Amino acid sequence: MDQKLQELWGEVMEEKKQCKGCGGALPFLIGFVAAVIAGWVLFPNLLYSKKVQPVRFSHKVHQEQGMECASCHTFRDDGSYAGLPNNEKCMECHADVVGSDPAEKIYVEQYAQKGKEVPWLVYQYQPDNVYFSHKAHESFECKECHLEVGKMDTPPVYYENRLSGYSKQTMKMWQCERCHAENGVSNACHVCHK
Amino acid sequence: MGLDRRGFVKIVVGGVAGTLFTPVIWKSLDDVSIWSQNWSWIPRLNKGEVKANAALSKLCPAGCAVKVKTVGGLPFAVVGNTANPMSQGGVCPVCAAGAQLMYSPARVKSPMKKVGEGKFEAIKWEDAEALLVEKLTALKGQNGKIAAICGDETGTAGEVISGLLSGLGNSGYYMMPGEKFVAEKGVKLMGGSGQPGFDIAGSDLVLMIGADALDSWGATVANQKAFAATRPTGAAATAKFVYAGPVLNHSAGVSDKFLPVPPQATAAFALGLANLLINDGAVSSASDFAEYKALAAKYTPEEVEKATGLKAETMKELAAMIKAAKSPVVIAGASFGQGGGALDFVAGASLNVLLGRVGSGMTLLPAAPKAVAGAAASEKDAASFLSEVATGKAAPGALLVYEANPAYALPQADEMAKALGNIAFKVSFSTYMDETAALCDLILPAPHSYERFDDALNPYGVAKSTYLAGKPVVKQPAMDCKDPVDVLLAAASKLGLSLGYDTYADVIKAKAKALGADFDALVAGGIWTGDAKGGSLNLGASALAKVAVPAADDKTLAVALMSNQAFGSATLATPPANLLVISDKELSGKDLLVQMNAATAKKIGVTAGAKVKLTGGKGEMKARVHLNEGVAPGTVGVLLGFGRSAWDEFTKGKGDNVYKILTVSDEAGTGLKVWAGSTVTVAKV
Repeated sequence: MDQKLQELWGEVMEEKKQCKGCGGALPFLIGFVAAVIAGWVLFPNLLYSKKVQPVRFSHKVHQEQGMECASCHTFRDDGSYAGLPNNEKCMECHADVVGSDPAEKIYVEQYAQKGKEVPWLVYQYQPDNVYFSHKAHESFECKECHLEVGKMDTPPVYYENRLSGYSKQTMKMWQCERCHAENGVSNACHVCHK
Repeated sequence: MGLDRRGFVKIVVGGVAGTLFTPVIWKSLDDVSIWSQNWSWIPRLNKGEVKANAALSKLCPAGCAVKVKTVGGLPFAVVGNTANPMSQGGVCPVCAAGAQLMYSPARVKSPMKKVGEGKFEAIKWEDAEALLVEKLTALKGQNGKIAAICGDETGTAGEVISGLLSGLGNSGYYMMPGEKFVAEKGVKLMGGSGQPGFDIAGSDLVLMIGADALDSWGATVANQKAFAATRPTGAAATAKFVYAGPVLNHSAGVSDKFLPVPPQATAAFALGLANLLINDGAVSSASDFAEYKALAAKYTPEEVEKATGLKAETMKELAAMIKAAKSPVVIAGASFGQGGGALDFVAGASLNVLLGRVGSGMTLLPAAPKAVAGAAASEKDAASFLSEVATGKAAPGALLVYEANPAYALPQADEMAKALGNIAFKVSFSTYMDETAALCDLILPAPHSYERFDDALNPYGVAKSTYLAGKPVVKQPAMDCKDPVDVLLAAASKLGLSLGYDTYADVIKAKAKALGADFDALVAGGIWTGDAKGGSLNLGASALAKVAVPAADDKTLAVALMSNQAFGSATLATPPANLLVISDKELSGKDLLVQMNAATAKKIGVTAGAKVKLTGGKGEMKARVHLNEGVAPGTVGVLLGFGRSAWDEFTKGKGDNVYKILTVSDEAGTGLKVWAGSTVTVAKV
């Protein structure tokens, strides 16, 4: 019995010597590092498709005219939030081409004058089962939740999740909950899910 | 350095371990959990501004002034218009379902041409309109060859259709039967003219004989508001309501008194009441008072008890109530809004003359100016017309059906549907695929109430001239439809006729102008009211002399048609949302339950739940029995609105259609076709 055990132990040690020849822990590390790189670099590129806005809207130009976020992104009389401005609002200034930017020409000719609303891509569109009141969050700066587009000449790329269909910037429930908790606001279901 | 099996396993293990330090698994799990939220076929909320736009909803016969709530321009709910004096914020159960009905699967989605028995194909509007013009051109100038049936009693569309027919040399314009048509005939028999109205709000006792005024007779929402105003919270009622009719219906249920009167005995009941009032000192300056008094004297309490089953004491109590009232009003009508005779109306209205309430409780509305030259009133109703078509007395080559469903909502419905088959070319202007549209050769889809201009002049029952108008709430109709009046005006133009307008909106503007109303204020939810005209009426004694007291019959039962406005109307099947309010005492599975009291059931040998066959008027229907002590003796109550063979999955094939077993007969002395007093045999199956 002892002899058999010694033989077996010998085989194991021999195999271990051979194994040193194939790198020891190195393959594990290679696999580990490759997975980490793939997970953090390749995976996001695969998960999200990139889209650009139908019209290159420059928030910067409008801000330089002295406009503020609330100049176009308004509350309605009943307190509900109008969100993105529609043609009626944009055409207050852009019923005709007033500048030299080709993007404005595209807007006026392809949308405003045809009475067609621009299918803007909304970076933080919430699911239908979420009731979000901008009025209740009015005291926050827009940029605390939204991309800071005010200084951008070109709208940021819109990343659409190929699996869920949501924008990359759509706020997740845990983010809502954390902010509510930090600010002493109820996290009861009915607060957001009516 | 080679890569052996062991090395490969190490890489894989390392890879798996590394993956745990990346978002791959955690993010994928999270995304998969919400993956199903955005599948393309899942309905999405239409986000946008919530508005409440004034509209005229003509889904119910009287029309409701409503506010249609929209989000991002699309209707999602309907509420009453508090600013409108007629509805005062109320809305009837059919119009309340209006937003849902706009998206109904029963809507006709585009023009359709019949290509075989029950088979249609979608065609383009230009082809459909060309076909219409071609058929009308071939029959133009031949009187009797083109006819139209209109189911809209209040809209100016009727003038356009009538004017078009006149222009084409035809006089075949027929209204679907309704109270207004019969009541105007009744007023003529009393030496007057015009549409009668009833001031419920200004009366301290309202006696409803047959007329289900608080559910489905007249301007129901206005009637209900007037009733509610007499019942202030925490205070005594300021008016009394009495319902005398065949069934304890919604009106009877909230009234101070319910008197069960069989449907064929309402005139006898009214004349019996007149006898008691005259004996108690009531007099009238009407020229035929002496004749009337002598006639009423025949309706002794004993005779009335024979006809109605009501004890003399009950009648005397009612007479005392009326005598004690300062401003009573009597409203007579059929319990389901059609089929009643003019004599039933005259008998009820004569009580208003006797009580000196003509001009106050009961009013007469002046004739309104016409917007379309050549438009004429309907001389006959559609039931009379189709009876003539069935016998070959009338032989039109083309029939236009506007907002009407004669194949379903006329007595002896199967016979009427067969009569329609005798007409070579039939066009239906309908929003929904109803029973008549399914029989037509061409269907030209009409817009829903919220997609069109429309108006309503003098809904039957209003005490003074009343005009409402509405404009589209939505920018685009949900279906490929066109306003029927616009289609007919365009056809008229192609036929070389000018009716003076290009669109229905123009017609309504002209109508408003002729009345002295502000069109813009009307379509913003307003109302125009005029005065009732003066004039007096006689007691209609010579006409009432022809009233026949029904003979008792052990073999048959009188049919009391029960209308519940929530279940739809003659032109509209039960809205899907309202199916929830049908109780299991009305519909059980697919079986309609007919109602009778226990004594009646015993007399004919049936028990609760028994399956029965009702036979009458060349038709039969199947149902089950429900015992209901709120039904007059010798009477079987049958709900309207069931037994649909078209429409949608929600209504089709549920229950049976009572119109099949009604018998059309000629009213003595007036020649009107009546069926409110139909009788049937009920047998166990």
